[in-house]
Amino acid sequence: MARSRAPQPGPLGGRGPRPDAAAKVAGSTRYVGDLALPGMLHAALATSPVASAWIRGIDTSAAGRLEDVAAVLTADDVPGRNSIGVIFDDQPLLVTDRVRMVGDRFAIVAARTEDAAWASARLVSADLESLPGVHDPDEAMRAGSPGVHGESNVFRTFRVARGDLGRLRSRAAVVVEAEYHIGGQEHAYLEPQGCLAVPEGRGRVTIVASCQCPFYIQQGVARVLGLPLAAVRVEQAPTGGAFGGKEDYPTEPAACAALLAWHTGRPVRLVLPRELDMQVTTKRHETVVRHRWGADRQGRLRFAEVETVMDAGAYVGLSTVVAERANVSAVGPYRVPAVDVRTHVVLTNNLFGGAFRGFGAPQVTWAAEATMDALARRLGLDPVEIRRRNLLDARHRVTCTGQRLAGPVLAREVLEQAVALSGWDGRTTPADTSGPIVRGTGVALVQYGCNLHWGGQRLDRSSAVVILQTDGSVVVRVGLTEMGQGNLVACQTIAAQALGVDPTVVEVWQPDTTTVGDSGPTVASRGAHMSGLAILDAVARLRTRLDPVAAELVGCTPDEVELAGGRAFAAGDPARGVSVAAVAAEMASRRVETIATGFARTRSRRFDPSSGQGEPYEFYAMACHVAKVSVDRELGLVHVEEVVAAHDVGTVIHRDALEGQIQGGVVQGVGWAVSERLAVDHGRLLNPNFTDYVIPTAADAPRVRIAVVESDGAGGPFGAKGIGEPSFIPVAAAVRNAVCDALGCEVRRLPMTPQVLVETLGDRHPFAWMVKSGARVPGPGDVEACRLGDSQGPEG
Amino acid sequence: MSERIAVTIVVNGERRMFEVPAGRRLLDLLRVDAGLTGTKEGCGAGECGACTVLLDGLPVTSCLVLAASCDGKEVVTVEGLSGHGGRLHPFQDALVVHGGVQCGFCTPGIAVAGAAALARGFQDGEQAARLMSGNLCRCTGYDKVLAALEFARENEHGSE
Repeated sequence: MARSRAPQPGPLGGRGPRPDAAAKVAGSTRYVGDLALPGMLHAALATSPVASAWIRGIDTSAAGRLEDVAAVLTADDVPGRNSIGVIFDDQPLLVTDRVRMVGDRFAIVAARTEDAAWASARLVSADLESLPGVHDPDEAMRAGSPGVHGESNVFRTFRVARGDLGRLRSRAAVVVEAEYHIGGQEHAYLEPQGCLAVPEGRGRVTIVASCQCPFYIQQGVARVLGLPLAAVRVEQAPTGGAFGGKEDYPTEPAACAALLAWHTGRPVRLVLPRELDMQVTTKRHETVVRHRWGADRQGRLRFAEVETVMDAGAYVGLSTVVAERANVSAVGPYRVPAVDVRTHVVLTNNLFGGAFRGFGAPQVTWAAEATMDALARRLGLDPVEIRRRNLLDARHRVTCTGQRLAGPVLAREVLEQAVALSGWDGRTTPADTSGPIVRGTGVALVQYGCNLHWGGQRLDRSSAVVILQTDGSVVVRVGLTEMGQGNLVACQTIAAQALGVDPTVVEVWQPDTTTVGDSGPTVASRGAHMSGLAILDAVARLRTRLDPVAAELVGCTPDEVELAGGRAFAAGDPARGVSVAAVAAEMASRRVETIATGFARTRSRRFDPSSGQGEPYEFYAMACHVAKVSVDRELGLVHVEEVVAAHDVGTVIHRDALEGQIQGGVVQGVGWAVSERLAVDHGRLLNPNFTDYVIPTAADAPRVRIAVVESDGAGGPFGAKGIGEPSFIPVAAAVRNAVCDALGCEVRRLPMTPQVLVETLGDRHPFAWMVKSGARVPGPGDVEACRLGDSQGPEG
Repeated sequence: MSERIAVTIVVNGERRMFEVPAGRRLLDLLRVDAGLTGTKEGCGAGECGACTVLLDGLPVTSCLVLAASCDGKEVVTVEGLSGHGGRLHPFQDALVVHGGVQCGFCTPGIAVAGAAALARGFQDGEQAARLMSGNLCRCTGYDKVLAALEFARENEHGSE
């Protein structure tokens, strides 16, 4: 293996332009919406405006008569199986008898222009019979509530049970009970969902899609069209942001476009308008977390009872997998001798819950870190001090699932780094409450399980191809995608480091299902990790053929060959070497094979889902964030001034990409914390646009200061751990604790909009005498009031 | 069906004539009629800024501008920011060097808005952030975008 060789100087851990940056900045990168082929048709969807109904009939005749329309298809036109559920077989591509969510598809249209396609889709009429929906997860859980799929709405309950709860409950000196209501979140990737389906004749089809998971699309399209996997080629288009929103969802538009291409024999492009995209695509799960946690007088946690209710919406999608992560992440990086966690996946007719950066962990982390602060307050302890007394560390390595952590356990290190960098001062709430602006500081930690949970470990493998070209340049193909996070530059850096060449001679191409094996989804912060390991394996195999040729050119034995600085040389004697390009040319002239495949998989683990005991993840990454906020307690407006982010990253692969992930994760977390509220009425999103769903602008972004803790021993390429999700998970919790510190009260609802804060302050609001009691649920009209800070247009 | 209107627009320095329906957006004229797909549509409602172009030197969201209203005007898109010989604008260069590009979908609008901010001038980082606040980015957290803007400004001043 390449990893056993002594590390050479190289690009690892450095900075430098991403390979994809120059084209993107010039506007020459072609996203799906920029692609056009001769004869191409445009697709549109006819979707349900209501969340629950019986369907008496669907009439497409008027839609089909419209000028320029080539096809209007319904479920009857599906040649394979009318099913697109990624894990469970509960979601039809096109509905026939029942509507379960706003956005369920009655029919799909292909037309010569986009305008004609959507005009035609609007003419599809469905004869609906009203059917009461279920919109409150607690109500959905009750026996006798209307079943979204006819039976119990509690689709799954996951457990973690450990320790003697009865005995340890009696040892607790303080007990905190709390119920947290945590809102969902829209991914708000800048590029809407889109794909292009191209019929290839002879029963084959190519899909070019904005997506995270080409292999999911391949499976979904093959199922719908009744084709073997080999007949469906999926190429990932440059993807304009994803964050989990392009994990499973893109299978839906891809199957629609593929079906239309199949019937018309012409290329079909589908790009969702923003409003439809926001209404119908998956969201972070709206979640209720109920806690009963106890600690002794020293602040040591004795027990933790957690009940989490995740609103899955009408179809399961990935909700069980999201809940698996939430379930085992429920008590954070803390040692708790007795744990009883129950995590329910509940079906409703609300928005479609799915994958979103953090995957269930942000919600339970938000709750856990709130309760830690509540315990600290009850005990008169500093929030940092109570965490110090409970963290997992080198001496306390056993997690709530009974997993004994291997290698360095760096929770304490990230906490102390964040404390030092933020200048945490054993804070007290500022005494000056004379003016409206109050300041506060908050801390939060996360223990992030790297890669896929045990439940998905069969997918946790990855494939790569490395081709040494005759001129010494290198082609790399991997099965994991670039969606902005930096997988291309990570793979480029890893390949260049392993081959001892300059990164600029390495070209990493977007994934295509015909070039590499199924590498699973690009999720769970596993992109650079799993594609990197596969690249290293491929390079190791290539070197079994490269090293003997290089050895002859250099005049040494094959096992003495080292590669660095673009040259092959004998160990310890870089002066006497030849260029890698010369070795490549020699390999070509000798007709030595210069293509190698690579493969990686995570270690197989054991886990008992009935007790939640075992090894859910191979290893973990710790992170600690400290947030500083100022709050206008009259208006309830939060300004996040600074976030210090300390991360256990194993090894830095590319420093700019790492920082970019952390900075972006922090700002996305700030949005979820204070302004990103999904206003939903009977399953319909009332604010499906960026005017009323407010994500942070440049003027709202806090100063982000980063501390990186590197270590040996993690299992990724050169020891790297994923950063995509750990960068997001603690943010909203740290901001929440800072807001509570500033206001001297406990906020138990997220996002912390002005309305939530004013209501939480209640009698302590400066103008409490003016605030009418009773007005609890904000309507769409006050969304504008949630706007962050001072955002002005270009001329502002 | 709808009446077509003849407009003459200088697009990236080139005088071009188009016949457009009255409701045609400048964004569609650029992307479809002129084939300049660098300008992106992110929301169609003037909020995200991905479709930002310069109209007579000022940044506008082209999804909210009617093409027919641009007769006789000058439009610069991301493709037109680069100078002679395809050299990138200093801000585009800085975005590449400083890691200000991730998924890239907001980037054309960011590049145009940043070029406009440099042309207009700004006092400090806070004002720069306000000038860029019409362009949403969901990946970068804006830090490296603003660092690139500051770098481009300093370099411009250095070369004067």
